[in-house]
Amino acid sequence: MAQTNPPFMSGVPELLVLRLLAQREQYGYELVKSIRLVTAEAISLGEGVIYPALHGLERAGALKAKRKTVAGRTRVYYSLTARGRKRLELLRGEWHRIQSGITAVLEAPANG
Amino acid sequence: MGDQTFDDLRRSLLESGVAPRHVRRLILELRDHCDDLRHEALAAGCDPAAATARAMRRIGDQQVLAGKILGIAELRTWAYRYPRLARVCYPIAYVLLLPAAPVFAGMARASILARWGAALLLSATVTAAMFLGMQLSIALG
Repeated sequence: MAQTNPPFMSGVPELLVLRLLAQREQYGYELVKSIRLVTAEAISLGEGVIYPALHGLERAGALKAKRKTVAGRTRVYYSLTARGRKRLELLRGEWHRIQSGITAVLEAPANG
Repeated sequence: MGDQTFDDLRRSLLESGVAPRHVRRLILELRDHCDDLRHEALAAGCDPAAATARAMRRIGDQQVLAGKILGIAELRTWAYRYPRLARVCYPIAYVLLLPAAPVFAGMARASILARWGAALLLSATVTAAMFLGMQLSIALG
């Protein structure tokens, strides 16, 4: 069972949501399932928390929400906007920068 | 399922100034998500009570959820974001809209007003006809 780790999770849900929605539009439950699947359950969110993130990103103009009726159920589908793509590129760059910095520290000789 | 919990969440978000359209959609999405989780648990062999409990557990703590929502200032109504401006604008808007209140009230109850007008017209016609009859009976002696 994956465990949540808030200190390491800052900004991660936003990055994951933007990356997954860049592939195709999805609704909340589908998105959470995608996160669990893609990260092999390494990242586990309180699933309700995805909605504040989605609403916030929509309000910031990074996502667009659209209601759709599929198999008799109305779902709110989210898709990425042009602003969202820019935000994704920015976050991706930040993430790689931090990741390489941390990797450099971890792989440096301990007594060096 | 979890209706009381979501009602409490809805109420607390509205009381904290989150815009009603965001609250409505959030609750709708959470209910749907919960239903999906419940169906997933039932398909995995849980009994209905355990499935509901598991779904609610996976949705997560309602207070954490409320805290996350309240942390996004843009989801609040403008009156909560700019209280000083609201204290100026609301009284001005009320003063400007006050004279138009009867018009808006009439528009909102157009069918009632139409029925009332028709009844008034009918009673005026009947009264006029009675007066005319009386006048004619006097004139024709």
